[in-house]
Amino acid sequence: MKAPPFIYHRPETLDDALALLAEHGDEAKVLAGGQSLIPLMALRMGRPAHVVDLGAIDGLAEITEADGAVSLGPLVRHEQANRSDVIAQHAPLVAQTMPHVAHRAIRTQGTVLGSIAHGDPAAEMPAVVIATGATLTATSSSGERTIAAAEFFEGYLDTALRSDEILTDVTFPAWPSTAVSSVVEVARRHGDYALVGVVTTLDITDDIVTDAALAYFGAASTAIRVSAAEQSLIGSSPSREAFDAAATIVAAELAPPADIHGSTAYRKHLAGVLTTRGLTAAVDSIGVPA
Amino acid sequence: MTDTQSSRLAAETATGGSIVDVSFTVNGSATSVTVEARRTLSDVIREDCELTGTHLGCEHGVCGACTVLVDGQPSRSCLMLAAQAEGRDITTIEGLAGPDGELHPVQQAMMDAHGFQCAFCSPGFLMSTVALLDENPDPTSEEIREELSGNLCRCTGYQSIVDGVERAVKIMKGGSK
Amino acid sequence: MSANTSGLVGQSVKRVEDDRLLVGNGRYVADVNPPGVLHAVFLRSPLAHATITSIDATAARRAPGVVAIFTGSDMEAITHPFPPFAMQPDLYTPLYYCLSSTTVRMVGDPVALVLAESRHLAEDALELIEVDYEPLDTVASIAEGLSPTKPQLWEKANGNVLYDHVHTFAPGNESVDAVFAGADRVITERLSCPRQSNQPMETRGSVVEVDPDTGHMTIHNATQSSHMLRWIGAALTGKQSTREAAKGIIANKERRKAFLAGAKSFLKENAEGLKAQDNDGMKSQLKADKSFLKHANLIGVGLLGKDDYPDVVAQDIGGGFGAKGSIAREDVALIAAAGELGRSVKWIEDRVENLMDGGQAREEDLTLSIAVDDDGTFRGLKVDLVIDQGAYPGFPVGAPLASAIMKVMFPGSYNWDAFEMRSRIVATNKGKYVAYRGPWANETWARERMVDIVARALKMSPAEIRLKNLIGDDQMPTAMITGPKIDETMSTKKTLERALELLDIDQFERDRDTALAENHYLGLGIASYHEAAPGPPGYWECVNPGTETLLNEEAQATVETDGSVVVYTSQMPHGQSHETTYGQIVADELGVAIEDVKLVFGDTRRTPFSILGTGGSRGGPIGGGAMKYASRAVREQLVDAASKLLEADVADIEIVNGNVHVAGVPARGVTFAELIAQTAGDGFEATRSYRGKGDGGWSVATHACIVDVDLDTGKVTFPRYLVVEDCGPIINPAIVDGQVRGGVAQGIGAVLYERATYDDDANLQSATYMDYLIPTSMEIPEIEVHHMETLSPGGENDFRGVGEGGMIGAPAAITNAIEDALSPFGARITSQYLPPTKILELAGVISPD
Repeated sequence: MKAPPFIYHRPETLDDALALLAEHGDEAKVLAGGQSLIPLMALRMGRPAHVVDLGAIDGLAEITEADGAVSLGPLVRHEQANRSDVIAQHAPLVAQTMPHVAHRAIRTQGTVLGSIAHGDPAAEMPAVVIATGATLTATSSSGERTIAAAEFFEGYLDTALRSDEILTDVTFPAWPSTAVSSVVEVARRHGDYALVGVVTTLDITDDIVTDAALAYFGAASTAIRVSAAEQSLIGSSPSREAFDAAATIVAAELAPPADIHGSTAYRKHLAGVLTTRGLTAAVDSIGVPA
Repeated sequence: MTDTQSSRLAAETATGGSIVDVSFTVNGSATSVTVEARRTLSDVIREDCELTGTHLGCEHGVCGACTVLVDGQPSRSCLMLAAQAEGRDITTIEGLAGPDGELHPVQQAMMDAHGFQCAFCSPGFLMSTVALLDENPDPTSEEIREELSGNLCRCTGYQSIVDGVERAVKIMKGGSK
Repeated sequence: MSANTSGLVGQSVKRVEDDRLLVGNGRYVADVNPPGVLHAVFLRSPLAHATITSIDATAARRAPGVVAIFTGSDMEAITHPFPPFAMQPDLYTPLYYCLSSTTVRMVGDPVALVLAESRHLAEDALELIEVDYEPLDTVASIAEGLSPTKPQLWEKANGNVLYDHVHTFAPGNESVDAVFAGADRVITERLSCPRQSNQPMETRGSVVEVDPDTGHMTIHNATQSSHMLRWIGAALTGKQSTREAAKGIIANKERRKAFLAGAKSFLKENAEGLKAQDNDGMKSQLKADKSFLKHANLIGVGLLGKDDYPDVVAQDIGGGFGAKGSIAREDVALIAAAGELGRSVKWIEDRVENLMDGGQAREEDLTLSIAVDDDGTFRGLKVDLVIDQGAYPGFPVGAPLASAIMKVMFPGSYNWDAFEMRSRIVATNKGKYVAYRGPWANETWARERMVDIVARALKMSPAEIRLKNLIGDDQMPTAMITGPKIDETMSTKKTLERALELLDIDQFERDRDTALAENHYLGLGIASYHEAAPGPPGYWECVNPGTETLLNEEAQATVETDGSVVVYTSQMPHGQSHETTYGQIVADELGVAIEDVKLVFGDTRRTPFSILGTGGSRGGPIGGGAMKYASRAVREQLVDAASKLLEADVADIEIVNGNVHVAGVPARGVTFAELIAQTAGDGFEATRSYRGKGDGGWSVATHACIVDVDLDTGKVTFPRYLVVEDCGPIINPAIVDGQVRGGVAQGIGAVLYERATYDDDANLQSATYMDYLIPTSMEIPEIEVHHMETLSPGGENDFRGVGEGGMIGAPAAITNAIEDALSPFGARITSQYLPPTKILELAGVISPD
C-alpha cells in the first residue's frame, strides 16, 4: 500500500504555491495536513501527478478574531483549534466540534480547512460551516474570491473550489451572545466517521427561538441543513415538544444513503433522534426547560 | 550508499517522481535522508533510519501502530510524507528509554501491568500514552480509554493497557522518572 | 525426589518478552532485511469469479526497478499444487497452485507476482500488468453454494457442496428419531453466523533469504508453525520427476540422510508393532506410529525435497489467532521465486490484502432442533450445519476440521439421549475460511443461543434450564454422547453456579427498570461450555481418527558447559507469552531464576519437530508438559552428577538459585558450570515428547454479561461482563486473564462490530479498517475474570489451555443478553452479527430497507 510517484513541490510562499496550481491544475493536489490525501494515495485511489505541500509557507496557521468573527488559515490543525483560546471564546461551536474529529494523532496533523476542502459528507467541519454560514475564501493566482457556505459543498467529495485554488480562509461570523449550540453524533466506534451527526445552533431571545440551524453530516451526499425543521423551531419556545416536532420533520425529509454500517431507515431514524438530542444538548448550557 | 541503495535510487529516479533531501531529528539525532517524495515518514523511519520499533499495521491511519511524536505531538507516521517532517523533531519508541537504558515510566508500567501480548501495537500505544500523560498527568480511566481509542489492539481487550497507563501515572507522580 | 521449586508457577511473573518488545527491539518479519532483498507484491483479481483470457506483463517487466514477474503459468511449471489434506472421508479437496492461471475464484485471488527493488516500485509495475477477465456468475452466499443452478467453482467436484455427512449418536435403545418422537416437544431454529476475520495487528509476511554463495534458503516468516512451513514449502517448490527425486536421494547426502534417518527411526520405534505383520499391518502401524509426522517429515525431505532443504526462522509475531497457522499460497510463490532468482525476496502483506486473503472464518448456517420434555429435560439434539469455506480451503486446517470438532463438541456439557449432526461444506467466491480462535466456537454459540430459546418457550429461566441439564459431579466419570471421557475437570455446572452467585440479579432488575426511562433496555445473558484444551486421551480419536499424533509436542532442555540453561520448544509463540510461562516451569524444575532460562523457538535448525506449532490451546498443557519433563530429566542428571561429586545421596541434593548442594549446606554447593567442569561433562541435555496427561484436559467457563441497549441509537454497551473460568492450575494468572479478556474482546467485535462483508456479487465491501471494525478501548468494557482451579484426579501437569475460550463463550452470552433485553418486543435473535441497524429492526423501531 504505497503511493504512486509524483512531483513534490514545497513552495515557500503562497504565490509560488498558487503559480504551481495554475500551471498544473487538475494534475495537482494541495497537501496541508494530509490526513485524507495521503491514505487515498496509499490506496492508489488518489494519484496526483503533482503534490503542492503548503508546509513550508509561513503565516498560514493563524487564528484571528475581528469584531467577533474568527478566521482560520489553511494550516490551522484541528488540535491547534482545539486548544485555541480565541476559538474557545469567540467560536464556541468550533471548539465544541474539535474533540469529535477522529483521534488526537489525526487532529495534530489534520487541518480544519483541509477537512472543509475535502468535503467529506460524514465529517463534522462541513456541517459546522453550513450551520454557521461561514465565509470561505478561495485564492488563485488570479486573485481571491469568497464563497458562501451554502454554495461551497456541491456533491460527494466535491466543492466549489477550482483546481487552481487554495482554500485560504474560513471566517465564522461573530457568535451572538444569545446563541447556543451543540454537536452530537453516533458512529459505529468512537472516533469513526459519523453514521449521522448534527450540528445545532439556536439563537434564543426571551425564551423564543429567533434563529436555528440544523446541519447534518453522514446524512446525504454533502453536509445538509433541513430548513423545514429549522423553520418549525423559529418563533417557538424551546421545549421537548418543539424539538420532537423538528425531529419528526428531519426524519421525514432526509433520505440518507445506506452503506454496510447502517441502512437508510436506520439513518433516518438516527437523524430524528439526534435532532432531539442535539437541540436538548444545545439548550442544556443555558438551562432552558426542555 | 550501498550498491543496492544506489540501484534502487536509480530506478526510483526513473519513475519520474521527485527525489527529495529531508533533514530532521530522530530521538535527538540529526538525520538527513535522500528519498522518494512519496515515502511516508514511517517508511523512512523503518527503512532509512532502520528504527524498526515503529510498526505498520494498516498504512491508512486507523490502527495507530505507527504513532510517533512529531514535535512532541502524537502523529500517524503512515499519514505523513517524510518530506513533511523537514526540520521536525521526531521521537520513536527507541527514544523513550534513557541513554543508559533506563526505562521510561510508561514502559516500566506497561511491563508491570502485563500491558501487551504480541506487542505489535505497543509502539503506538506507548507513544500515545506518553503524549497523553505529557498533556494530562492525571487522567481518569475514561480519559485514558478515550485517548487510546485511536490505537487498535487485537490481543488484550485493552484492560491491561489502561491498567498500565494508570500505573504509569502513579510512577510519574511518585517523582521517579 | 521432589522438585526444589523456586515457586514461580502460579504467580503473575512479569513477562520476559517485554524486555525487548517494549523498547522497540522486537524482531518481526517486516524488520528482516537481507542485503539486496527484492520486494514482492501480488497482483490480485478484482473480480470474484472469472476466467483469465490473457495476461500480459510485458510493460510491467520494463518498469523501473522490476527484476522479475511470475504469472500463474510460470508458477505451475515450477511448483506443485497444494495437496489434499483430507481430514474427512468423502471430502472434496481441490487442487490449486500458489497463483491462479486460468480461473480466479475470489476478489484478491493472486494471479501474478512482481519482484522489484522496492515495494513502491513493485506496486507501480503491478498496475502495468494487463489481465483480461471473462466474468463468470458468482456464488456469494451459503444459499447460492447449496443451489444446483450456480456455476461450480471446482470442475471435478460434485457441485459446490464439497462435503455432506451425517453423524448419529444414540447410545441408548432408541434411535435419534425415536427420541425426538418421544419428547414432549421439538423446538427448531435456524441460526446464522456471518463471516469474520482473524485480523492480527501484524499482517502476514515472509522473507526468503538466499545465501548468495551457497544458494541456501532461510525463510523468515510470521508463521504459527515453522516446521510445517519448512516441510510444505520445500515440498511444493521442489517440483521434479520421480526419477529425479530418486536420483536426488542417492546423490544428495542431506536428503539421503534424512530419508534413512526417518525410515530407521520409524522402524526402531515401531519394531514391536511391525513384528509378525503383513502389508496391511504395515499400514496400520503407520497409523499407530506415535511419531508419524516426524518420520513422514524426514522421509518427505528425502523424497520430495529440494537438494538443499530450507530452514525456517520465525521470531516475534504480531498475533495470529489461527490465521498464521495456514501455509499461504504467497509463502509458496515466494520460496519458488527466490529459488528461481537465487536472490532474497520479501513480502509483507498490506492490510487490504489481509482483509481479502489473510483468512476469514466462522460463516456458518446452523439449524438446530432440540427435543425437550415439558419439565425442561433435554432429550435430543439435531444440528444441520453448513460452512461457507470460501474459494480456497485453509491449508492445512479450516472448515473440515472445524466441522469435525463441532460434531464432537456440539452437545456441550449437557445430558442428551440422542444427537445427530449433518455437516456440509460449500465453496463460494469469498476469502478462504481458516481456523480462528476456537474454530469450532459456533457449536457453543448456536447451542447456548438455542438453550435460551428453549427456556423461553418453556417459560423457564436460562439458568434453571441449564442447571437442570448440565452434567454434574454426581454423574462423573462419564462420557459425552459423542465419545470423549468426562471427569471433574469438566466443571461447567460449577462455573455456572459461581457466576450466578457473582451476579446481583436483584440489582440488575432494579437497574433494568430505571434504564427504561432513558429508552435503554437491559438484558442478562449467560453461556456455559467446556472445550478440549487439549481434551482427554481419546478425544482426538473422536474428532479425527488416526491423527492423534498431530497434537504431540516436544521439548529439549539443556545446561551448557558455561552453566546456562537453554530450552527448546516446538511451540511458536505469537503473543501467548511462552518465554515467561515456560521460563516459570523450567526455573521451578531446575531451581534457577527465570532470568537464567533462555527459550529457543521458531528456528527449525534448532527446535524440535511439531507439525502444528502453536494452535489448539496446546501451549500450556502439552508444550508446557514436554518442557516440564525435559527439564525434570535434566534436573535428574544434574542431581545425579552432584551426588557423585558431593558424595551424597541423590535424595539429599537440592538446587537453589542455581546452587547445587547437599541439603542444609549451601555454602559447599557448586554452580551448574562448576558441576560440569568438575565432572568433566559436556553439559546436560534431555528431550521429551508429550501428548498430554492421562485424564482431564477440559477447560471450562461460564460467561455472564449485562447489556445496555439504547433503543434510540441501537448501540449496545456492557455495564457488566464477567467470566468464571476453570483451566485447572494456573501458570501465570495475569497471562491467563489477558488471554480470556482478549478472547472476549474478539467476541464482542464479532457480535457488534466486525463483519467480512460481501455484496451479492461477492465483491468485498470491508477491505479497509474503515469498514472492518475492530473494537477500540471505548467499545470493550472492563471484563471481570474469576478463576476456579479444579484439579483432575490424575495429578500433575494439570495445566489446561486458555487461549481460545474467551472467544468461544462471548458471542453466546452477548446475543443471549441482547435477546433478553429485547424480550419486551418479542425479538428472536438468529444472527450472530448485530450492528445498530439490526438491533433497531429487531426491536421494531425501524423496518428493514
